Amino acid sequence: MAEAQARVPGPIRVWDLPVRLFHWLIVGLFAFSWWSGENHDMDWHRWSGYAVLALLVFRLYWGFAGTSTARFAAFVRGPGAALTYARSLAQRPYVAKVGHNPIGGWSVMLMLAALVVQVAAGLFAVDVDGIESGPLSDYVSFETGRAAAKLHHLVFNIALAVVAVHIAAIMVYRFWLKTDLITPMITGKRQSASLPPDAAAAAVGLGLSWRALVGVAAAAAVAYAISVGFRF
Amino acid sequence: MTAKRSFTILPFAVLALTAATLADAAAPPSVTATIAARQANFKKMGKAMKILSDQLKSSAPSQPAMYGAAQVIASNARRQGRMFPLGTGPGSGVETEALPAIWTDKADFDAKMRQLVNESTKLVAVTKAGNAAAIGAQLKATGGTCGACHRKYRAEDE
Repeated sequence: MAEAQARVPGPIRVWDLPVRLFHWLIVGLFAFSWWSGENHDMDWHRWSGYAVLALLVFRLYWGFAGTSTARFAAFVRGPGAALTYARSLAQRPYVAKVGHNPIGGWSVMLMLAALVVQVAAGLFAVDVDGIESGPLSDYVSFETGRAAAKLHHLVFNIALAVVAVHIAAIMVYRFWLKTDLITPMITGKRQSASLPPDAAAAAVGLGLSWRALVGVAAAAAVAYAISVGFRF
Repeated sequence: MTAKRSFTILPFAVLALTAATLADAAAPPSVTATIAARQANFKKMGKAMKILSDQLKSSAPSQPAMYGAAQVIASNARRQGRMFPLGTGPGSGVETEALPAIWTDKADFDAKMRQLVNESTKLVAVTKAGNAAAIGAQLKATGGTCGACHRKYRAEDE
């Protein structure tokens, strides 16, 4: 099957459906959280945060249970691999990877970490008036809640910076390395002509297995439990 | 001769300098105290608001805790209206998030303060009765008057 694909030039699936859905839902919810926060629309801001929380739980699970390009083990690499990869960027034509490259992998982990801290801080945050608060804020003092809110502001700015670097990197690949990263993240597929000859063997499935169902159920359950502050 | 003259001038120079420094660095003690007192009052109200919202998150909210918190909010609300005399804004040299609009639009500011007093008085009444749904609704109404005033008259807190 893989050998047959290798001989046929054409598109190869490099991202499964859950990875792509996660990515674009996070894009939308990140923007919506920003907008609702700026407009003091805190009911919507909380709902958006719970959705981000569920997505993060799913993605962390999918990093162990997903298809090969979704797994942390496949793309979290050491500094040596990142350095070797950085040197390979000078070669022309640039040959794309199936999955995250060793530097992109770190960028993914950095964005995930920023979002995890951001959501965690929001859960405990209290506004200066004591009116609006996260669902776990009653487990902490007013002062701790204020500290969480300040962290929530700080990490948002860090997250914005990381997103800016992410978008800048996509532009560099697009215009300098002539590699389109956006289309594969939408369709899941990349033309095998722009990939190494043995890429077809690394192609991934759609990812819609029972494992995905388990992940969705677990993510929904965890997000629900936290959103009600573990009061059932 | 020259040396003697400078000695006679020196005390006056020092006095003038000291006066100028004092005027620059420290607002009159009453201004500092007023700003500190109103900030402390607001903080008490914020903590009391959190007690109310914490209790409402619980499946068995404590009526005495909510009643006590509502009384803190209402009594401080009645005090706060008098805590913004002219000269206690950002121009006083004391750090404050109070915006100049408080004094340029005083009638509206005072009206908003009266709304806070009204809503927080109702909050005391509903917490005395103890119906959680009614308390939640009145907490929202009270918080609404806080927010309406803060958006217009307080510097954005980051």
